[in-house]
Amino acid sequence: MKNLGGNLDVQRLIYLRDLLRELVVRDLKVRYKRSVLGFAWALVTPLLFLSVFYFIFKVALSLEIPRFGTYAFTGMLVYSWFQTSVSQASGAITDSRELIRWPGFAAAVLPAVSVTTNLIHFMLALPLLMMFLLIDGTGLKSVVLLLPVVIAIQFALTLGLGYLVAAGNALFHDTQHLVAVLLQLLFFLTPVFYDAGMVPERYQALYRLNPMVHLVEAYRAILLGGTWPSGSDLLTLGLLAAGLLYVGHRVFVHLSYRFVEEV
Amino acid sequence: MPHAIVVEGLAKQFRRYHADRPQTLKEAFVRRWQHIRAGERFWALRDVSFDVEPGQLVGIVGSNGAGKSTLLRLIGGVGHPDKGNVKIQGRVAALLELGTGFHSELTGRENVFVSGVIAGLTRRQVTQRLDSIVAFSELEPFIDSPLRTYSTGMQMRLAFAIGVHTKPDVLLIDEVLAVGDLAFQQKCLARISQFKADNCAIVLVSHDLGQIRRLCDKALWLRCGRLLAQGEPEAVIEQYVAEMETETRRKTPTEWPVRTTPEGKELRVHENRFGSMELEIVSVRMFDRQGRPAIELRSGDPLHVEIDYSAPQRIEAPVFSVTISTEDGQACTDLSTAAAGVTLPMLEGEGRITLHFERLDLNGGRYYVDVGAYKQNWDYAYDCHWHSYSITVLPTDNKKGFLHPPHSWEFGDISHEPIQK
Repeated sequence: MKNLGGNLDVQRLIYLRDLLRELVVRDLKVRYKRSVLGFAWALVTPLLFLSVFYFIFKVALSLEIPRFGTYAFTGMLVYSWFQTSVSQASGAITDSRELIRWPGFAAAVLPAVSVTTNLIHFMLALPLLMMFLLIDGTGLKSVVLLLPVVIAIQFALTLGLGYLVAAGNALFHDTQHLVAVLLQLLFFLTPVFYDAGMVPERYQALYRLNPMVHLVEAYRAILLGGTWPSGSDLLTLGLLAAGLLYVGHRVFVHLSYRFVEEV
Repeated sequence: MPHAIVVEGLAKQFRRYHADRPQTLKEAFVRRWQHIRAGERFWALRDVSFDVEPGQLVGIVGSNGAGKSTLLRLIGGVGHPDKGNVKIQGRVAALLELGTGFHSELTGRENVFVSGVIAGLTRRQVTQRLDSIVAFSELEPFIDSPLRTYSTGMQMRLAFAIGVHTKPDVLLIDEVLAVGDLAFQQKCLARISQFKADNCAIVLVSHDLGQIRRLCDKALWLRCGRLLAQGEPEAVIEQYVAEMETETRRKTPTEWPVRTTPEGKELRVHENRFGSMELEIVSVRMFDRQGRPAIELRSGDPLHVEIDYSAPQRIEAPVFSVTISTEDGQACTDLSTAAAGVTLPMLEGEGRITLHFERLDLNGGRYYVDVGAYKQNWDYAYDCHWHSYSITVLPTDNKKGFLHPPHSWEFGDISHEPIQK
């Protein structure tokens, strides 16, 4: 049973990399092939959101956050990578019935495809964010070199969660709807268009249980503040992400024999 | 030689679809997680054991739901057996659902990469074999067009071409050899012989008994998850066919209104009429060139066989057959929609199916025309009219046999030239 990539020989790793790559490329090509804007679509959604946020929170409610445009845009990009990845991963198994019933197919690659595809969207939008930073005079500090670490942590965290929701949805078909609602709620509990400091002190401990709070703050520290994010925060986040990825993958593999029969 | 596939005491249990297990979290919650593990179970496979040597081609026959596909998937490592085990030597490849991973918006070439990697090749291997895959599929001029512009046949050809380029040790084939035109089928069969020669062990599921007979070294017969027979294809198929006939007899109602054919012959169930009657053949008429009832024909005349059916309930993909045989029971021709690669749509209500013989080069004599409608994959008959319709072909200059092809005699000197006409 070489179904799930248990034996980690080099050939297998090369194969899994190729499989991931082909499926990601397929998703991207399919999405952009017949559109005029092409990859620019990756920017349209966050930009539209951003303009609405700017209008409501800066113009209408006049929120006191300096450089609100770049501030909210950073949060937007980070959260939308997370949100679209998890929501796509929740359908990754149920939408690929024929693939996971294919002899020798590594089903565990499917949630990774969701997260990677959206990572590419995120990366495509990054230059635009950098441009905003240069325009509003923040510039980039050398600490930006730490960005890949934060991205890696977010990747692991998202994928770990992706495994759980993918397996969950294969067993209970309404997991997907529940996940969509939870992601929407979590959006408001993540400091995308406001500052985490605005949350009253007595709720802070509870509020900070959401790992996305720390993740968004780490990105902002690096990009907007040009400072090192809190080391302990980053370490905790890294450990949490690694743990979640391990558990998520284990659960997924454990259940995968069942869902090839149930989807 | 060590076996390529060893299946020992394999058993697999499934829950039924309508089982009590909640399908959604909501249901699970409402029922307070009570029935999560409950539900009616049934054995899809029971105590199946067999082995396949390298270079051996094993065919599996059995009606729908007998467990053939489940067995194939378990051999391929999809799902967990509940009992027993499967041992495989080497790399497994499968031709199960052709075109897995295909996307209609991508070009043929792009799809080769995606599908090739899904089939187990690395990108480098796909690149190396790309030319060969495209050549095999005979789709060179279209390879950079989007797949949505391909016909189904073209897509199947591309999929098959990818499948046969995986160089496996064990190859699993599920009912896909009816790909494309006859020439392409021949090519696929030649490729499968090549696999055999290269010591690949092949397991083939097919409803085409003729194919199993011609290709396989060994046949397995599955019924309701049990292996009823294995061995020489001829012997296994004989048992299987006998079983289908028994099944048809069993399903034939004991009472059914007697019908009279245009010739005045009475159709009585269990005498000259068999089948479950889920789909009824209400009338069979035969016409000649002028559209007149064909009672007497000249040899070489066309013949049209018109079959009217009535299906009170929905019938999925039935098979219609027409057999012409001599009075002493020798078959002259045995045709069916399935063998012609015609898949009928879901039938409901009344309709008509016509078989056109452009010419019927039969020798003079009387012939029976037997018509039948069968369940998908020949599982059993819906309605079979046996020796109830006949045609008479006027006498010819032919003394024996039942064939009278168009011919002429030529008379002349000995020449060493080959005969031209």
